[in-house]
Amino acid sequence: MRILLAEDDSLLGDGLRAGLRQLGFQVDWVRDGDAAERELRAQAYTAAVLDLGLPRKDGLKVLASIRAAHIATPVLVLTARDTVPDRILGLDMGADDYVVKPVDLNELAARLRALVRRAHGQPQECLTAQDVVLDPAAHTVRRADVPVTLSNREFDLLQTFMLSAGRVLTREQLEQQLYSWGQEVDSNAIEVHIHNLRRKLGNALIHTVRGVGYTLLRDPPQS
Amino acid sequence: MLRRSHSLQRRLLILVLGVVTIVWLVTAALTWLDVRHELDELLDGHLAQAAAILVVQQGQEVDGDHDSVDAPSLHRYAPRVAFQVFHEGRLTMRSTNALQTALTGDDSEFKSGFTSVQIEGVAWRVFSTYGAERDVHVYVGEEAGAREHILWAVLRSTLLPMAIALPLLALALWGAIYRSVAPMRRLGLTLTQREPLALAPLALDGAPTEIAPMVDALNSLFERIGELLESERRFTADASHELRTPIAAIRAQAQVALGETDDAMRRHALRNTLEGCDRAIRLVDQLLTLSRLEASATPVMEKIDLALLVRQVVGDLAPKSIAKGQSLEFDCTEPCPVSGNETLLAVLVRNLVDNAVRYSPASARVAVAVRRRPDGRVVLQVDDSGPGLSEQDLIRLGERFFRVPGSDEAGSGLGWSIVKRVATVHRMQLHTARSEKLGGLAVTVIV
Repeated sequence: MRILLAEDDSLLGDGLRAGLRQLGFQVDWVRDGDAAERELRAQAYTAAVLDLGLPRKDGLKVLASIRAAHIATPVLVLTARDTVPDRILGLDMGADDYVVKPVDLNELAARLRALVRRAHGQPQECLTAQDVVLDPAAHTVRRADVPVTLSNREFDLLQTFMLSAGRVLTREQLEQQLYSWGQEVDSNAIEVHIHNLRRKLGNALIHTVRGVGYTLLRDPPQS
Repeated sequence: MLRRSHSLQRRLLILVLGVVTIVWLVTAALTWLDVRHELDELLDGHLAQAAAILVVQQGQEVDGDHDSVDAPSLHRYAPRVAFQVFHEGRLTMRSTNALQTALTGDDSEFKSGFTSVQIEGVAWRVFSTYGAERDVHVYVGEEAGAREHILWAVLRSTLLPMAIALPLLALALWGAIYRSVAPMRRLGLTLTQREPLALAPLALDGAPTEIAPMVDALNSLFERIGELLESERRFTADASHELRTPIAAIRAQAQVALGETDDAMRRHALRNTLEGCDRAIRLVDQLLTLSRLEASATPVMEKIDLALLVRQVVGDLAPKSIAKGQSLEFDCTEPCPVSGNETLLAVLVRNLVDNAVRYSPASARVAVAVRRRPDGRVVLQVDDSGPGLSEQDLIRLGERFFRVPGSDEAGSGLGWSIVKRVATVHRMQLHTARSEKLGGLAVTVIV
């Protein structure tokens, strides 16, 4: 899951980025409101963590303008403004969750997972497709109740597919979801990861749509 | 020692009534003395006159042998007045109440003039005189008690109205004093009925000039307490708000360190945790300084040498500047005595120099200078070759917690507020501009 972190405080930003990475997120970190808005408009992030007191453009203004532009990325507001009117304003301006600093990293991660789940209309914590069950919190995958060992990239890729089950995803979309800034992407990396997933989980799960991309089928195909 | 509290009203009443009574008594005493003197003169005159008449009459009837003529009693005072006429030692005429012997005792020991005698236990005033041939002795006497009666009557007529007037006066005084101290009573009542935390100024309509200063003093006290409370409240709000981010950073870094398996990464997170703690401490210090500055009244001012003080501060901050690879210089050739509070001025100078060092990049120059202008005013100037500030940022400088966007340094955003506050307390002028000398920011403080 690729997260945009907008936080102007260098120590906190650094800590959140490192912590969320430990918990399996890909994190891009911006330090001002203008950059946050630019990135949210340019890329499809799974979710965003937004500080309100940002330089150049206040977090609430960023929120209002991306919502006005119909960008539906789930946004978790993380701020020092702790009064009830502030919380109400934040949620009304389009925030999906409102968390007051300081926050436990595990809680922040759980809230982000919950946001993503809700955004994809998933009532349960675990994602299911055919006989494969993915637990984002425990970072585990089971096929027919047997644990399957996946690399971090493979896990992220599977999660991305499962969140968008039934939709065709292009290679660029997948790369965007998988890699944060500064990470080098081999031209055939996605193909390699999909090959590995098929090897570990069977060929029935992910299908290639020639000339377009890939899709994950929630139910086994009628043969 | 505490004196027992007392009612102003009762005190005034007792005082005024006491003085009035004393004045009246003294008046009465003086009247008594005066009236007695005049009365004595008048009645003695009458006695002498009566004696003279008797002497004259006796001269004409000296041969007529009216033995012991008894004069009729014609007035209620008559029994108190008596006369005797002796001719050659023999009583020839007397009033009915007069004795057979001379009023003064013995006619043979005659002495003309006034005498006071006791006759049958009663005091008499007697005038004795004689005729031309000295064979006729006339005694005219009057009971001294009669004089006392007249005197008392006079005194009564003066004192009685006073005695009746005193309670009335007391009543009138009580009313007048009651009305006069009413504003004080109202003030007391207003104060007791106020909410304990109400700090609105007292409005006392028609307050007399005597208690106006008290009301004013109270109002300024309320205002001062209000400011203190506001400053406390702001401190608490600021502290809880502004400490959230550093504490969140400490927490996040500590949690990262805990979950990190890579040793170098964990050390990095731990170093960041410590840095976060230092920053939180610095922020609390700054908040406290600002809060104290805002709450304190005028600090103690003394003569100090600004050049010496700045030199010390520059010396303190030099290691930090050297560590950043900057060149920090101090320029001053003469002592610059100013009037100010040493602690506060040190805080001001430290903040200015620290800001210059903090926000200027490595290998930058920071120049601090103190000099005396020809007009005698002392000028402190801090120049740096850092990035300086945009017009917009210069305007926002000094807003609480305003931090220049994009700056990576862990400032609290309070330093400039503190500098401004100290400058205000010392009535110093503070100017910020682009440095002509070094191209960065130039801050000028004119004492």
